[in-house]
Amino acid sequence: MRFKVCLMVIVFSLFTSVAFAQEAAEAPPGFTSWDDVLAQANGQTVNWYLYGGSDAINGFVDTFYAPLLAEAYGITLNRVPVADTVDAVNQVLSEAEAGVTEDGGAVDLIWINGENFFTLQQADLLYGPWAHTIPNSVLVDWDNPAINLDFGRPVEGYESPWSSAQFHFIYDSARIAEDDLPRSFAELTAWIHANPGRFTYIAPGPGGYMGTRFVKQIFFELSGGHDQWLGDFNPALYDEWAPQVWNLLNEWAPDLWRQGETYPANENELRDLFANGEVDFAFTQEISGASVYINAGRLPETARAFAFTDNMIGDFNYVAIPSNAAHTAAALVLANLILQPDLQAAQVLPENGFGLGFGIDVSRVTEEADRLVLETAAANLGAGAAEPAELAAALVSDLAAEYQTRVESDWEAHVLRR
Amino acid sequence: MSSADRLTKRQFVLLLAPALVIVLLLFGGGLAYSGLQSLGWQPLIGRTTLSLDAYHNLLFAPEYRDVFWTGLGFSLWISLASTVLSAVLAVLIALLIQQAAERSRFWSFLLQLNLPVPHLVAAIGMLFLLSQSGFVSRATAALGLTTTPADFPVLVRDTGGVGIIIAYVWKEVPFIGVIVFGVLQSLQAALVQAARNLGANGWQRFRYIVLPLIAPSLLSSSLIVFAFTFGAYEIPALLGVRYPRALPVTALFLFNDADLNSRTEAMALSVIITLITSVVIGGYLWLRGIAHRLG
Repeated sequence: MRFKVCLMVIVFSLFTSVAFAQEAAEAPPGFTSWDDVLAQANGQTVNWYLYGGSDAINGFVDTFYAPLLAEAYGITLNRVPVADTVDAVNQVLSEAEAGVTEDGGAVDLIWINGENFFTLQQADLLYGPWAHTIPNSVLVDWDNPAINLDFGRPVEGYESPWSSAQFHFIYDSARIAEDDLPRSFAELTAWIHANPGRFTYIAPGPGGYMGTRFVKQIFFELSGGHDQWLGDFNPALYDEWAPQVWNLLNEWAPDLWRQGETYPANENELRDLFANGEVDFAFTQEISGASVYINAGRLPETARAFAFTDNMIGDFNYVAIPSNAAHTAAALVLANLILQPDLQAAQVLPENGFGLGFGIDVSRVTEEADRLVLETAAANLGAGAAEPAELAAALVSDLAAEYQTRVESDWEAHVLRR
Repeated sequence: MSSADRLTKRQFVLLLAPALVIVLLLFGGGLAYSGLQSLGWQPLIGRTTLSLDAYHNLLFAPEYRDVFWTGLGFSLWISLASTVLSAVLAVLIALLIQQAAERSRFWSFLLQLNLPVPHLVAAIGMLFLLSQSGFVSRATAALGLTTTPADFPVLVRDTGGVGIIIAYVWKEVPFIGVIVFGVLQSLQAALVQAARNLGANGWQRFRYIVLPLIAPSLLSSSLIVFAFTFGAYEIPALLGVRYPRALPVTALFLFNDADLNSRTEAMALSVIITLITSVVIGGYLWLRGIAHRLG
């Protein structure tokens, strides 16, 4: 009898400990449950550091997130605009150097990309893993390598997606007819030589990751396909194709804008050259293409977006929480909020100013009304957007981070300083 | 002066102390930490051994040396050209304003007008004004002188640094000019008059009377301009090309590199920039000391 009681006690305690363990695994590190997160977040101010160079994005954040956070969760949103995400990273690094480690940091949430994610991981300054513990993570397709890898690096729960982007081009339909658009790098080469001085690309390097992407896509086309580039960095494959890519870019140079003597440093500079009529193509990442800029009066009404038939790199962008964040709870609530279906629908609509694509997988949304809102938004991307089917057909994923570094330094050595 | 008015050495030091503490702590502390980091001190990523590797890399390693040496040449070129041009123009303008005699107050006001404009704003202004699709280019297009933006000469973001030099000259002429004009104002008119009576022509009066008198302030203000333009970031970043690029721009590139290991080279480069400006200023003080002793 006593044995039986003992056994029952043991079995019972095993069950409860398993149950507790599961509960604990589902809660973000340092919290007992999502309710605990919500309770602690109430009354906090979340300091969100994000790129502040776009009035449209700033307006979107202030209009769609701030009131909802305040009303539903009692959280005050303090949007901290930075000129470049690296400024937010430097803030966290400087705090760590100054010994602010526990929870005294100024930064609660960062809109981050693969490069800066790598920097903070290198210094072990990110909170986590948490991304799979927020309720809306069920809407995220974590099996998709384009989401669970960021610039080829495993995300491992240390950042959570916000939106998606895909490289493609902007042109002016008043200057070029749709039928005359180049649809591959081979056709672009012919176009450049036929229209000297009217094309340039962003310099791969600091601030110019879209230029790096542009060049990576040339690797894919010249080498006859994207698939062989997936996986770990393959130096032999890179060394085989790199000289041919540099040759092609050097062959373009005399017929590029400013004879290839210099290149725009980022997408804003390139877009300004396009808007001022100095060149005929700009690059974009936004699912709404030129629409946001047309709405803002920064590009002509006739601006349109298009993709090549293949090799257009797409990826996701994320938010991350520094390990010394003072308001981790509020940051988690915000990271969860931005994945909410109605807000995801709002972010793609060009009139709302954000213009990047969904961070969630629409097919995972079970609520019929939510699905409808998302699908309606996807069908209303404005005249400046490229055909979604065109983009989907050309979609390829980005590569291991080493390619990025190699392309940037080798481009400078073999093309810029030639 | 009675002895009560004169500060004792101790009072003097005490009065200076607050300013000295701030300079030594904030500036000296930052400088010392940069120096330490340039030797490889990066506890955040577990690097705590010190060496001169970063300096060696910058000067000799294939991935840095080209950018370093061309950057050094480019930075020296823009600083020297900006300083010399600014100094010459500033003296000419100051002399002209002094000649204007009764209207000199108006002209000197005009000269000082752009002093409060930040360098960043000056750079963006130049970009709007002088780029191939800037205001001047649009004006020449409206007048039929050019048809496309590419017809307009490349004045900003050019490989020779012309745009950077124009922006610096625009900013620094008033700086040197105001100082030189101040000295000119306090000059003994009688000296110049006496030289004139003794038959000195305009050039001789300038060369032997005016120039020696304004030389100390002209030289020191020019050195400030040189040191500033050599170490400043924003104008070369906005008006320069990617290559060749000024040393401070490369230093920030390296500092912001995704790989934290690059910060060591970034700090080494910053220390080198500081050393070069220190040598220039030290050299000037040394020469001035010699000149002083020689009378």
